[in-house]
Amino acid sequence: MPTLRKKISHLYWRAGFGISLEMLDQKSSLPLKETISKLLTDAKNPDLLTLQLPIYEQLAKGGKAMMKNADLRKKLQEENRGVNSFWIRNMATSKNPLLERMTLFWHGHFAMISRNNSNVSKNYINTLRTHALGNFGELVLAIARDPGMIKFLNNQQNKKGHPNENFARELLELFTMGIGHYSEQDIKEAARAFTGWRTNKNGVFTFSEKRHDYDRKTFLGQEGDFNGEDIIRIILEKKQTAKFIATKVYQYFVNQKINQEHVQELAYEFYNSNYSIEKLMRTIFESNWFYAEENIGTKIKSPIDLLVGMMKTLQLDLGSQKSFLFIQKMLGQILLNPPNVAGWAGGPSWIDNATLVFRLNLAGYLFKTQSVNVYAKPAFEDKARKKIKQKLSATMDLSPIINHFKNTDEAVIYASLSDWLIQTKLNIKKSEMDLFTKNDVTSDYVASLVLRLMTLPEYQVC
Amino acid sequence: MDRRNFLKNSGLASTALFVPQFLSRFNNSGFNQNGKNLVIIQWSGGNDGLNTLVPFHNDLYYKNRPSLAIPKNKVLKLTDELGFNPMLAGMKDLYEEGLLTIINNVGYPNPIRSHFRSMDIWHTASDSNQYWQTGWLGRYLDQTKADYSPHKALEIDDALVLALKGKHKSGFAASNPAKLKKAANNNFLQKVAHHHNHDHEENVAYLYKTLIETQSSADYLFNQAKNSTRKGSYPSTSIGKDLATIANLIVKDTNTKIYYINMGGFDTHASQKNRQERLLKQYNDAIKIFVKDLQKNQKLDDTLIMTFSEFGRRVKQNASQGTDHGTANNVYFMGGKLKNPGIFNEAPNLSNLDEGDLIYSVDFRRIYASVLKNWLGVDPENVLLSTFEPLGII
Repeated sequence: MPTLRKKISHLYWRAGFGISLEMLDQKSSLPLKETISKLLTDAKNPDLLTLQLPIYEQLAKGGKAMMKNADLRKKLQEENRGVNSFWIRNMATSKNPLLERMTLFWHGHFAMISRNNSNVSKNYINTLRTHALGNFGELVLAIARDPGMIKFLNNQQNKKGHPNENFARELLELFTMGIGHYSEQDIKEAARAFTGWRTNKNGVFTFSEKRHDYDRKTFLGQEGDFNGEDIIRIILEKKQTAKFIATKVYQYFVNQKINQEHVQELAYEFYNSNYSIEKLMRTIFESNWFYAEENIGTKIKSPIDLLVGMMKTLQLDLGSQKSFLFIQKMLGQILLNPPNVAGWAGGPSWIDNATLVFRLNLAGYLFKTQSVNVYAKPAFEDKARKKIKQKLSATMDLSPIINHFKNTDEAVIYASLSDWLIQTKLNIKKSEMDLFTKNDVTSDYVASLVLRLMTLPEYQVC
Repeated sequence: MDRRNFLKNSGLASTALFVPQFLSRFNNSGFNQNGKNLVIIQWSGGNDGLNTLVPFHNDLYYKNRPSLAIPKNKVLKLTDELGFNPMLAGMKDLYEEGLLTIINNVGYPNPIRSHFRSMDIWHTASDSNQYWQTGWLGRYLDQTKADYSPHKALEIDDALVLALKGKHKSGFAASNPAKLKKAANNNFLQKVAHHHNHDHEENVAYLYKTLIETQSSADYLFNQAKNSTRKGSYPSTSIGKDLATIANLIVKDTNTKIYYINMGGFDTHASQKNRQERLLKQYNDAIKIFVKDLQKNQKLDDTLIMTFSEFGRRVKQNASQGTDHGTANNVYFMGGKLKNPGIFNEAPNLSNLDEGDLIYSVDFRRIYASVLKNWLGVDPENVLLSTFEPLGII
């Protein structure tokens, strides 16, 4: 049986991005149920990303003529990269870990690519945050009206007589029901119902009556003058939708390997709660099986899990947008830039020889005991194969950890630090680790051990 | 600390205990690769095919490109219709020697004009409305059984391209084996790797396995790559260095079957002429030496070189002395065993366009099917997950 501390760590890794030692101590004296409730209550009150977007504002005021200015467009792209790093920093510093975790999960689920427009990116993230722990139906509707998604999945071009099926197809295949539970004809009819759902030039949802197809439609066996809201309502009436989402949530939060009994229980409750995401998450976190050995330390951290986890643990900040982007590129996950609308596959697919070696060396790069000697692939737009030596500008503060272990016996430090930082079983013994920690440049045992533990394959799972 | 000291310190006497079974395969060189090498060169950004292989006999070409067209008298003529950009003199020589096949009008239905998506489609070999997570060469690796090792497919880069990622097996990325060896085989990670044992959780075991394989492959490639004599004879450009590395490995009969390199910078929306020609010249100068090098070392018959780009460019030039994203494009093959050297099919049709873009006539997956069936010797359907008829190119 896992100890209470292990359970709390597990909860915080899956519902957030790890936990500080101080908080772990504090939560260890409370009933687990209380800790879970606090996480959920906090996440029900979402704070939105608040960063200012001066370039976008300037462009919005200037109108179309301004958008033709290539220089300004470039600046807007840069501002967009700023949204990326602002978001990651927010994950690491937020007092609302479950909100951050859910937002990231929904980003992978309602995957949208936004490379150029900071305003589109910010609004999309805030759409996810607003409904992250709310009602799934409302979230789907908000996504269908999200200007970024409308553009990304070509609903802007979807009009009566010339339906564009892209959004309708992904709505059914990836966002709600999963392939095999509807026909091609259902996609066509759904696309007609979403005609006229557009975004205006200020990035605000609008409904265009003259583009909308008001004729009768037949969708999943029902007939009527359906619009987009009706389509979503009918989708939610299908139990398959609850099952599809519950399965995905289970695989992300609990275990890639599905336990049918648990998933069925979740799907049943999700459906009966009229798709309350909060209730779904509460059921998972309050279940006994969530804390079973087979579910602890069995998830390969995504690149963002790894990075944000290190940022939290080390009080780490990367000084520049470039550093944030470089790490994401080398690890293979760039926020606001998933491979496609299907999001990231996750699990073992994060790992190849290059990403693994980068992962294992990342702590060394950040502690500056190793120099960065790899290059990211150039962007398509880059003029030539760029070989710019990357320097990671990183600052960190280990004093809270060091102070925590002041005047503590090394053996106790080893046991305590490894228990805190490593979620799976650790085979390497202190005596073996000593051969390295004793010779490390950093003279502090705690700092050296943190570095070494973060270099282990075991640190890559949570 | 060296390995011996570690062994002493940890009280374990025999290394045999540590070497997992999956390593013995390629350490014992029981590797059969039929001697055939595939070298893929990716032109990223969308190379302008019409200014690479120029339809110099076509008035529409000159009409659509008043200031960007290559003048007739500068074109290196191959046939009555088509000729190379003046930077490709070496390629012309290869053409004349029967070492080059050019396929025109390669593309796919419902073409996508986004770099990312279109490259994804080329990498995964999916339809344009499908989103696949594995690459075509990765799925080829998935098919291979006894003769697999991670470095069987090697990308000369620090990150691995989607084309080489399979479901169960993937290729290997190393821009420089010495550098990778240093990063993967430092004392600490060497020691860590010895902690691989059988009671790891499945994912942790997978990480250990990948680490140990990486160390082993990095060592192997480092030994194969060292003492190269090619540095001086190849251009010092990126592509020159990459091809020198590959030639060295091929000549040394390295257990790598597939090589992959990426050459960027082809997204020429503005001031295209100088930018594209600089890149074509770099490519030309390096590839010519590479082919001749392999020929001299009797490796050209065992090597197939393929060059592609994610799309071609708009027929009409834009207002910035450049061209915008287009659709169908040429694919180039080089090697000593080409079935139909020369220009394989009809020249692009500039009078029948789709929204200003060329209409494809050869699905790129037919090319992949040829490579898979006639070069790598596997059933293309198992890799492409659909039936595509091979072309008679190899």
